[in-house]
Amino acid sequence: MRLEPAGASLTSDSANGAGDAEAWRRGELAEWHRRRLLERKLHDGAAMRASALVLRLGVLRELVPEGNAPLIEGIDDVQDELHAMLDELREVAAHIYPPLLEEAGLVPALRELVAQLDAPVRIVAGPHAETRFGAAEPAVYFGLVDGLAAAARSGKPIEIVLTPGVSAGRPELLVSLTGVGPEVGEALSDRVRALGGTVKISTVECGETTEVRVPCE
Amino acid sequence: MLLQAAGHEVVAVAAGGDELRELLATTPADVAVLDIRMPPEPDGGLTTAERLREVNPDMGLLFLSHYAESHYLMRILRIGTESIGYRLKEKVGSVEALSDTLARIEAGEIVIEPVLAKRLVDRPGAQRKDAVATLSERELDVLRLMAEGRSNGGIAAQLFVSAKAVEKHIASIFTKLDLHPDASVNHRRVLAVLRYLRSQRDED
Repeated sequence: MRLEPAGASLTSDSANGAGDAEAWRRGELAEWHRRRLLERKLHDGAAMRASALVLRLGVLRELVPEGNAPLIEGIDDVQDELHAMLDELREVAAHIYPPLLEEAGLVPALRELVAQLDAPVRIVAGPHAETRFGAAEPAVYFGLVDGLAAAARSGKPIEIVLTPGVSAGRPELLVSLTGVGPEVGEALSDRVRALGGTVKISTVECGETTEVRVPCE
Repeated sequence: MLLQAAGHEVVAVAAGGDELRELLATTPADVAVLDIRMPPEPDGGLTTAERLREVNPDMGLLFLSHYAESHYLMRILRIGTESIGYRLKEKVGSVEALSDTLARIEAGEIVIEPVLAKRLVDRPGAQRKDAVATLSERELDVLRLMAEGRSNGGIAAQLFVSAKAVEKHIASIFTKLDLHPDASVNHRRVLAVLRYLRSQRDED
């Protein structure tokens, strides 16, 4: 009889643990959803309005009577300012949620990111360049953004291999990183664990490898 | 409005890709202007363009987008390599820019957003960096214009030099980058240049 309450408390503990993990996961998913909506709002709202303004100014420019150079110049200046503003909006949008990640998926988004880093980073996806990895996509992308930028500064070649897998009947994404220090794995860890995934950093002959498994659901 | 100011006739306007295809089935047009992110989501502009090209291969296609991404450029060039364009919405904000873009598409050229062409030339795939670094400033100017899809004549006009001088630069670029010279067919040359610059990312 005395064991019962203990047993009960054990069950409720692990239930709480599972509940916490589920809450953590849901919180993370809600965060990505919110970010996607924000990016979309920026695109359909402010950005759309600003590019429409550029076009309307182009129409007005045609209506300017010949010989009014100052007015033409003024319109050109305003258009240039709007171009700069749109560039800034794109930059903000990329920090919130890269549209390429949303529309084309993890592999194209990582390739674009790597191209901007100006470092010898190779993304290997084999036939899976267009495969979608669900919730694992933002977790891995945002987990890699900062760590990768720091690791790329060393100039050492980095390889990132992405492969789809299955664990307990559910789809998952496997990411294998070579040529990066443990800090990249650590940066990934929180986001990956939030979704119930794992990060394993091991030292092998040629340096360190980081193996990441993330559920896609 | 800007299209009309530039002297073009807008024959039909549709909210989404499916409506546009229906309209264009009965209304002939020289060029269809699409947004990559138009309905049906997520990239309805691309699927709509594929179908339009199948039904009417002679109609020009112009993609206007808020983003200029090499990923989409490659997908667009898979739809077709003639009479096709990809530009940032705000960069066709003058009658000159819009008319130049449309005229080039009508002439069968590929029109690529200069911002994107510049990015590809300035930040080529890691394996191509050393070769691109051997080009002179002038050759880089020419390469950027080639990556925009411009013809020899177009490059010469932009740089205020003779077509002969452009030919010489192009020959030198092709030798330095070890590309097959096929300057006679413009769209093939554009593809060769773009594939070359992006190579590292597409090889996997």
